[in-house]
Amino acid sequence: MARITVGIGTSHVPAIGAAIDLGKTKDPYWKPVFDGYEWTKTWIENEKPDVIVLVYNDHATAFDMDIIPTFAIACSDSFKPADEGWGPRKVPDIHNHADLAWHIAQSCILDEFDMTIVNNIDLDHGLTVPLSLMFGQPEEWPCKVIPIAVNVVTYPPPSGNRCYGLGEAIARAVESFDEDLNVQIWGTGGMSHQLQGPRAGLINPEWDQKFLDNMTANPALLRAIPHIEYLRETGSEGIEMVMWLIMRGALGDNIKELHRHYHVPASNTAVGHIVLEKTS
Amino acid sequence: MSELARTNIHEYLAELEDIPGTRVYTTKRARQGYWLNQFAMSLMKAKNREAWKADEAAYLADWPMTQDQRDAVLARDYNLLLDLGGNIYYLAKVFSTDGLSFLQAVSTMTGMSTEDYQDMMINGGRSPKGLRSIKEGT
Ligand SMILES: [Fe+2]
Repeated sequence: MARITVGIGTSHVPAIGAAIDLGKTKDPYWKPVFDGYEWTKTWIENEKPDVIVLVYNDHATAFDMDIIPTFAIACSDSFKPADEGWGPRKVPDIHNHADLAWHIAQSCILDEFDMTIVNNIDLDHGLTVPLSLMFGQPEEWPCKVIPIAVNVVTYPPPSGNRCYGLGEAIARAVESFDEDLNVQIWGTGGMSHQLQGPRAGLINPEWDQKFLDNMTANPALLRAIPHIEYLRETGSEGIEMVMWLIMRGALGDNIKELHRHYHVPASNTAVGHIVLEKTS
Repeated sequence: MSELARTNIHEYLAELEDIPGTRVYTTKRARQGYWLNQFAMSLMKAKNREAWKADEAAYLADWPMTQDQRDAVLARDYNLLLDLGGNIYYLAKVFSTDGLSFLQAVSTMTGMSTEDYQDMMINGGRSPKGLRSIKEGT
């Protein structure tokens, strides 16, 4: 049977991808950002996940104002890194576990999470930057990736509670898939940042750290955080953190924190990263 | 705990307008800015970027935007563009075509120089203190 073993949370700042692609990871500005991922890069080599369910958001790349799906799951066999206006990132194509992706889609819909199914999509920095952070610059990504895209651009995005519940439904879907697979789920985006208006540059390390604490200490509090709290406390783009709750919801009650990293800034953003292991 | 109290849509929307220096991209702004954002989106294609760079005003004339929106794009007045329904991820196509990074473009909305803004970020960013609520002043 397929099983979810691990959840990973990470920021997906585009400038991090650019720093990797341009070989700047040892620069004084960037080094503290990347140092915090070294533990995970070594650890994940032994974990050898077969599949990653990767929750991210599209930043006006594949989806424009014409179609705005709240929750979308990409089900085709493979994907290209998107051209976001200055040429696609030079990273490998992304390969799906399409059977599992279709299975998650049908299971979630029957479980009353009405997913949009997407078969033709290029994947932007929201998905490729986390892969680069965890796996570096390989010729091929070492595992399959199932992209799940969440609308966090046009209000209202889904509630934290709904995201958490979707995570629970994804876990049920994975557990009912009849192939022996080690599956990880990643939640990406955040942490505190605001990219617009006179209040741009807002950062709230106390709030961010509390959010990371409550991943293990009190996830019930996290699922009840209203949108307005993300906006007031973490900046207008901090709302991306609802995507971490899909990851958290998929892990169930018993988890252990294996690793944490937090650094300000990467460009306009507070970088957060956590590794959570399912213990039963 | 999967059932939470039902959200009152009017209270929800009113609160979104109570954040200092912030324009939340609501459905109302999405409708107002539809063509502005779709114009910006068109700059994802190299061919369109060339036409845009050759004659910005002529390029804008082909899009059914308001004259206010066209003028604000030409002036690169990003705060005004937010007021007119622009969304930052769409407007990013305009400033990246100009060769600006997110940090450089974002700093223009803050009344700070790019250097001062970058220094603020390196020193930990802008505190939320006093910037959480217009009404409460917290
Ligand atoms: Fe993002």
